[in-house]
Amino acid sequence: MNRFLAMETLRKWVPLLVLAGLCLFFTAMNPHFLTLRNFARIAISSSPALMVAIGVMFVILMGSIDLSMEGTVAVCAVLFALTLNALGGSIAGRGWVAIPVALFAGAVMGAVNGLVHVRLRIPSFMASLSLGFIGIGLSLLITGGDRILIDDPLFRSLLTVRVGGFPLMMYAALACLLVAWFIQDHTTTGRNFYAVGGGEELARASGLNVGRLRIIGFVLAGIFYALGAIFAVARLGIAETETGRNFMFMSITSVVVGGTALRGGEGGVWNTLIGVLIVNVIGNGMVVIGLADYFQDGVLGLLVITAVWLSTDRRSLSFVK
Amino acid sequence: MFELQNIEKRYTGVHVLKGVDFRIDDGEIIGLVGENGAGKSTLMKIIYGAVQQDGGTIQVDGETVTFRTPRDAMKMGVGMVYQEQSLIPNLTVMENIFLGFEKPFVRFGAIRWKKMAEAARVQLAKVGLDIDPATITSRLTFAQRQLVELAKVLALEERVEGKLVILLDEPTSVLSRDEIELLFSVVRALRRRASFIFVSHRLDEILALSDRIYVLKDGAVVDVMTAKDASIATIQKEMVGRDISNEYYREDRQIPYDENKVLLELDHVGVAGRGNDVSLRLHAGEVLALVGVEGSGREPILRTIFGMLRPDRGTLRIRGKPVRSFSPSHSVAHGIGYIPRERKIEGIASGMNVFENMTLSQMKNYTKGSVLNISAERKLAREWIGKLSIKVPSEYADCGNLSGGNQQKVVLAKWRSGGSDIILLDHPTRGLDIGAKEDVYAMIRDMSADGVGIILIADTLEEAIGLSHTIAVIKDGDIKKWFNCQPGAKPSLYNLIQHMV
Amino acid sequence: MSFIRKYIEQQTINRRNLLLMSAYGLCGAAVTSAMKPYAAKAASSDPQIAWSYRDRTNPYWNAIVSGGNAFVQSLGKPERALINLINEGSSEKSLSDIQSLLSRYGSNVALAVDPNDMPNCRPVVEAVSKAQAYASTIWNKTDDLHPWDFGDHYVSHMTWSDVGPSEQTARVLFDAMGGKGGVVHLGGITSNNPAIERLAGFRNALKAYPNIELLAVQAADWDTQKANQVMSGFLTRYGDAIKGVHCASDTMAYGVIEALRAEGIENMPIVSYDGNPQAVDLVTKGKILATVFTNPYWAGGITASLAYYAATGVFKPSSEPKEHREFYGPTTLVTTKDARDFKVKYIDTNPNYDWKKFWALSGGQIQYK
Repeated sequence: MNRFLAMETLRKWVPLLVLAGLCLFFTAMNPHFLTLRNFARIAISSSPALMVAIGVMFVILMGSIDLSMEGTVAVCAVLFALTLNALGGSIAGRGWVAIPVALFAGAVMGAVNGLVHVRLRIPSFMASLSLGFIGIGLSLLITGGDRILIDDPLFRSLLTVRVGGFPLMMYAALACLLVAWFIQDHTTTGRNFYAVGGGEELARASGLNVGRLRIIGFVLAGIFYALGAIFAVARLGIAETETGRNFMFMSITSVVVGGTALRGGEGGVWNTLIGVLIVNVIGNGMVVIGLADYFQDGVLGLLVITAVWLSTDRRSLSFVK
Repeated sequence: MFELQNIEKRYTGVHVLKGVDFRIDDGEIIGLVGENGAGKSTLMKIIYGAVQQDGGTIQVDGETVTFRTPRDAMKMGVGMVYQEQSLIPNLTVMENIFLGFEKPFVRFGAIRWKKMAEAARVQLAKVGLDIDPATITSRLTFAQRQLVELAKVLALEERVEGKLVILLDEPTSVLSRDEIELLFSVVRALRRRASFIFVSHRLDEILALSDRIYVLKDGAVVDVMTAKDASIATIQKEMVGRDISNEYYREDRQIPYDENKVLLELDHVGVAGRGNDVSLRLHAGEVLALVGVEGSGREPILRTIFGMLRPDRGTLRIRGKPVRSFSPSHSVAHGIGYIPRERKIEGIASGMNVFENMTLSQMKNYTKGSVLNISAERKLAREWIGKLSIKVPSEYADCGNLSGGNQQKVVLAKWRSGGSDIILLDHPTRGLDIGAKEDVYAMIRDMSADGVGIILIADTLEEAIGLSHTIAVIKDGDIKKWFNCQPGAKPSLYNLIQHMV
Repeated sequence: MSFIRKYIEQQTINRRNLLLMSAYGLCGAAVTSAMKPYAAKAASSDPQIAWSYRDRTNPYWNAIVSGGNAFVQSLGKPERALINLINEGSSEKSLSDIQSLLSRYGSNVALAVDPNDMPNCRPVVEAVSKAQAYASTIWNKTDDLHPWDFGDHYVSHMTWSDVGPSEQTARVLFDAMGGKGGVVHLGGITSNNPAIERLAGFRNALKAYPNIELLAVQAADWDTQKANQVMSGFLTRYGDAIKGVHCASDTMAYGVIEALRAEGIENMPIVSYDGNPQAVDLVTKGKILATVFTNPYWAGGITASLAYYAATGVFKPSSEPKEHREFYGPTTLVTTKDARDFKVKYIDTNPNYDWKKFWALSGGQIQYK
């Protein structure tokens, strides 16, 4: 029994140990890995991914899944850039309106997603996947396949201005992370996500309005996707349909690697932070140690499987199919 | 003859079995009883090969054998009928019976279904079950599935020499009284083919079926009695190690309820889709037991009261006010608490800790502008942990890891601390050991004394009689008979049963 | 995990096609139905013109179709007279769409087509030839298949060789670096033919510059974000040793520029490929030193034109020399010197091409290795 408890405690720390192990490994292979400048680079690539991963994490906590992030990010990024450019091209002027516009667009996409899932009783997997398609199509329709450039130096200062060696973007992302943590640990909504994930029947029997909660979860996810979109635009200065690309794989992998259970009810923002860092450290580290590119996909896959294997409790996974 | 000698088992420091001797003769039915944690399941696992003993020997007909896997045990004629139904619901009956033993029916790599069906019919005949072997298992009733499981184990007969030993782990838990009788008659008729080890929490069933009874306590056999010399009281005394029967249901603490204060009233309510007509009144301090056979319609009544089902007609009044919108959230807001039968599914959120579980239904009391006041939540949890003597390391303990009794206490604390004064209890003592049951009974009396109205679906008839002020006998969804249960004037089992069936 | 990524990639592509299909497919259907009575009285002197291609989300194919439209308009027809057959990246769909087109209009078809993959080219041209219709192909064709083996009905094939132009951009880059220092190459999806050719051209140029040190070659899958991440990694690994960046596409160059901007590096020599309008803009600003323009607009128009005028009998393919049946498409190097002029001429407006000068921009007969 004691050994069991010890394993249990250890398992909680596995993602962090994996992250530390990876950092040690890459540093041993190439000492340049362990430099402030490189960590800043990892921080830049992690910031948008972290927002999207936190968004989908809320949905996964409830035991649902959201696959609409690529579409939602594309729509939010494009709307953000269009609004910004239409209102003078600088967030110093009226252009700041672009930020609430993007967040609102994300929330609307999330609400539609949640309503379709809950009211029409379509599995979240299908509902969100389809909504993702619609989002991609919508952003294509808006842009006609073009790229929208953002040249506002103030907005791009998220990337270019550094404090303590790290870009402003990272501090903004950390602030959003704290907000997410507060929602998760200190609000009714956050608590209820865990309850729904831990047992939907129980949540219902405790008098919770599960349908409404699910919709709230998707809305929240949508807002975080929009944040991810804004950071992604800040990072590249380009908004286009392709801005959403790869976020599905990246975010869900990060959530799972961080130790949040896909069946719901377990995990949280800190797990997600670690997961995002693991995935991005792997991505950065493989280039830094000069691994041949035809190996990289395979190695990424292996590392992800290993991380999931180490960090999940297989006693309760009998239902995995 | 099957014999265990001086069996020892430790799990990382915990001494689970301490030198257990166990013997079963051909054609004998052995009852195995003990509290939760006494070592029953470990002993069973050793017998059917799922776990290996650290010390001691297993002998079949005088020869020492080793079981590395359940399949080894099967080869020696030891089969298990699982408590959790082990049939795969989307396969046919015959596929389930011969699962893993399809070889004799395979020719050129293809299964000959006709031959398998014939063989399955032979097995089903042994348990007196007349169904098409090609039926999909999920279409069967629980009782039929139990018999199919038995038939599956009996199929071992053709494959092994000598007699079978069959373990029955809580086979009656999902069956109605009639079905239990049917199962027992089948088991008795099968004596000449096999001997049985029968494990159950229901001591009356143990007494009715077994020849000899082994009582386990703290990993050791404390007594072996012959069934005709034993009684429920003596077995209980052996299991718990003290005399408990007198004060069991705390009848001394049953006080009259407040007749003037009606908490809940059902006025000619028709439960959805059942076409019945239920009227009842629940008063402050009253324990009202709904009694009936499995499937008689007790649960739908509870679920209607809790707002999970919408009644077809009639009026439901809470404290005199008619209910118009039916949803659990509405009911919770009006002071109704529901303690469901499936504790793991509807009672406890595993993965969430004690205080999170307790405040789940009443979070608005612990939030300000939807921001949680965690220190107040923890204070509440500590208070109730003390009040109900819940055994947990701290309020941060994961409820999924607690024992059944402690989980039940957390669920009760959840509703009581939220100020619910109408509590619906569905099998609140199911699967609890005697000590934990007593705690639950004490809590019911406490709530009753505080003026809480309780509707109870009890685990056994004795429990219903012992605990309640009023009993409603339900049959086919309707209340057939009311009994008044004042201490000293309680109805007998016989009184109830004749209205139930 | 790579198969999952591949699957997701596939899905991303498919869903995009799906959506565009629903949009363009509807238009196509409307067009074909509108054409019906028109078709009935059409003589072989006025064949149906069709373009079969992958999809329109990609700027490249968008430009191809714009060229096709321009050609149709040059005949005095409305834009919708061009039938769009979108194959969504499926050879089966490509072939079956063409077959249904042929079964409706018979020999009265002038088809421009990218057969999607090399093996699909033969069944397509065989079907066209059997129906006595006319087809011109671009990009995908096996080396053993030649238009002159089909008489008149397989009119022509055009493709591009990226080796030479890529070598030119590399030379521009190396010269800008002063002929010495470390260089990195960001390539496309490793198995893509253009990625292979562009890398080969880059390596050819390296031979002539002994003091240029090749630090690393890494695939960034034509993707801006991936290129951004790869470039960050390179900066950690090689730091100041990187004196120049060779990108196999414009899209990847954008990611590289942003990765450098994040580090405050503004004047790193970079070259790219494809000649996208935005990249040309960056060339005028000197952010990119050179890119290569393949003129898809002209290619889209001239391929349709070849099939059309062969069908109407303006020229007889079988009496044309081989270099008029199989030829390379145009490639134009755009550098900081000529970018402004180039932009005015090709990007801001499309030149008014004479669609009857079929081989005006040809890069010579295709050579097989």
